[in-house]
Amino acid sequence: MIRVQPGQTELPPAVHQPRQQRRRGWKRYSSRTFYLFILPWLAGFLGLTLIPLIYALLVSFTNFDGISPHWHWVGLSNYRELLRNTDTWYSLGRTLFFTVLAVPLNVAGGLGLAMLLNERVKAVGVLRTIFYVPSIVPVVASAIMWRLIFDRDVGVLNAVLERLRIPVITWLVDPTVFYALLIMILWGLGGGMVISLAALQGIPQELEEAAMVDGANGWQIFRRVTLPLLSPVLFFQVVTGSITSLQIFVQPLLLAGNGGGVQGLGGSVPRGDFFYMINVIQQFLVFDRFGYGSAMLWIFFLVILAITLLLFRSSSFWVYYEADHDHE
Amino acid sequence: MKIFASRTPYRSRRRRRLALKEGSRYTLLMVLAVLFLAPFLWLVSIALKTQSQLAIFPILFWPSQADWQNFVQALTLVPFWNYAANSVILAMIYAVLTTFSSALVGFGFARLKGRGKRLWFVVLLSTMMLPQIVTLIPTYVLFARLNLVNTYWPWALWGVGASPFLVFLYRQFFAAIPIDLEEAAILDGCGYGQIFWRIFLPLSLPVIVTAFLLSFVWVWGDYVTPTLLLSQDNTTLAVAISASYVDPNNDPLPNVQAAAALLYILPEIVVFFFAQRYFVRGIVTSGLKG
Repeated sequence: MIRVQPGQTELPPAVHQPRQQRRRGWKRYSSRTFYLFILPWLAGFLGLTLIPLIYALLVSFTNFDGISPHWHWVGLSNYRELLRNTDTWYSLGRTLFFTVLAVPLNVAGGLGLAMLLNERVKAVGVLRTIFYVPSIVPVVASAIMWRLIFDRDVGVLNAVLERLRIPVITWLVDPTVFYALLIMILWGLGGGMVISLAALQGIPQELEEAAMVDGANGWQIFRRVTLPLLSPVLFFQVVTGSITSLQIFVQPLLLAGNGGGVQGLGGSVPRGDFFYMINVIQQFLVFDRFGYGSAMLWIFFLVILAITLLLFRSSSFWVYYEADHDHE
Repeated sequence: MKIFASRTPYRSRRRRRLALKEGSRYTLLMVLAVLFLAPFLWLVSIALKTQSQLAIFPILFWPSQADWQNFVQALTLVPFWNYAANSVILAMIYAVLTTFSSALVGFGFARLKGRGKRLWFVVLLSTMMLPQIVTLIPTYVLFARLNLVNTYWPWALWGVGASPFLVFLYRQFFAAIPIDLEEAAILDGCGYGQIFWRIFLPLSLPVIVTAFLLSFVWVWGDYVTPTLLLSQDNTTLAVAISASYVDPNNDPLPNVQAAAALLYILPEIVVFFFAQRYFVRGIVTSGLKG
């Protein structure tokens, strides 16, 4: 990945100074400059990421309710309670189930669209835009749209059912709301498509032609040439997609009609959409259990970390890196 | 041409099969395009319906007469322009600051040498993987204790703190610039501050545009942060349109809300059409080289 290693190149010795002294001065100057340049991020990382995380860890050992100064340490009791609470396991299970459905469909769908567009297609620019735009629509707007599609009284799905003389369905309740959410999320798969399309266009034509000359059919070329070359890009999508999907909570809240203000964030959702982060938010905003909520956050942090590491571990089995392809 | 003419039967069969394949691909693409466009079309349809047209059975696919009254109501039932201004101010604060600070940090990681640089770069990349909502809630609690809730300061702080994603974007760009430029400047007696400001920043104009647009759009579309940190009167458009449109009986007005949603996404989609390549550059760089 790193093609140039700037700063490590030796300077031509300055004319007027002894070589040794010049270089030592240069080095010190450079290291301090480096820290000066990255200072904004470093300060932000400490103040806005690390300290909040540590603060949450401390709070997780207390019964703090967000305002009252009369809190005290409760040791591990928050953690014991959350492990015993069936809601924790239920919400975690729903979250994992959703992720296992959403991420592969998202990546595979994006790849499928990219492959359709990668052939010589007319109006490829227009089509690419049509598929990509949904992924940049802000979450509030897309929730409004999909609520209107699935709505019982004004929705387009029920408009179709009425024409077919089928009784209308209340979509945005259990169990259908879970799949409505899935469809809403998959509508935004254009982001992955753009990445996969760029990767496909980066594959040298000769490779596929060589395979064709060797007598490989379309499927074999895809399976043995295209897919391995794309696997690093797909892997990236799986990792970032999983992290995003595990944290899902705004979309189900808005889809359930909870808008505006903090009350909306603490609003209720159908049981099928009771994801882990919704559980957490309710602990903070509805039950004022900052200690318990922080403990839930930290457990979740570790769960996501473990899943990410597991994915990275698994990559050696299915992600193909070219030998000379320097990657970090 | 004559030689090939003798093969016509074979070639025409192949061509027919190719045409069939081509045809089915186009059909599939058209069906998918309609499916992806359908939510937009339905939003427009609802936004153009009157309250009574909404109540018709069976549900109307498209109103026979467009009613633009909903758009007027969307702008007047709530102080729409105030909320839009809040969104723009907030997005500007964040986008301007983070576009600049990310460039600084990206330059540091791309062109400078320092003790522990590798480690910090790994930390930077891992923060991109950090579950954001997990840190947002404790940050919100901390901001509340520092009395920063209900102000725009948090966005300024986040802006100064740079975005790891944009840092990465800049770093990729700066790292590919040949070293000669830099060496020449050093020989001329330039410090790294000047090299950054006079040479690298002007060169990176396309990346600056990408970073600015992306960060602006993040704030414009963000729902959770303003909901947590701001109140009814200084919040953003995203929060305002999510629930504000009700009639005097407190019943929701889906057609007015649909009109508001259209007004809310329209500027973003227009900007996207004119600056598509910048958006795509952002997403592709992160996806291909991450």
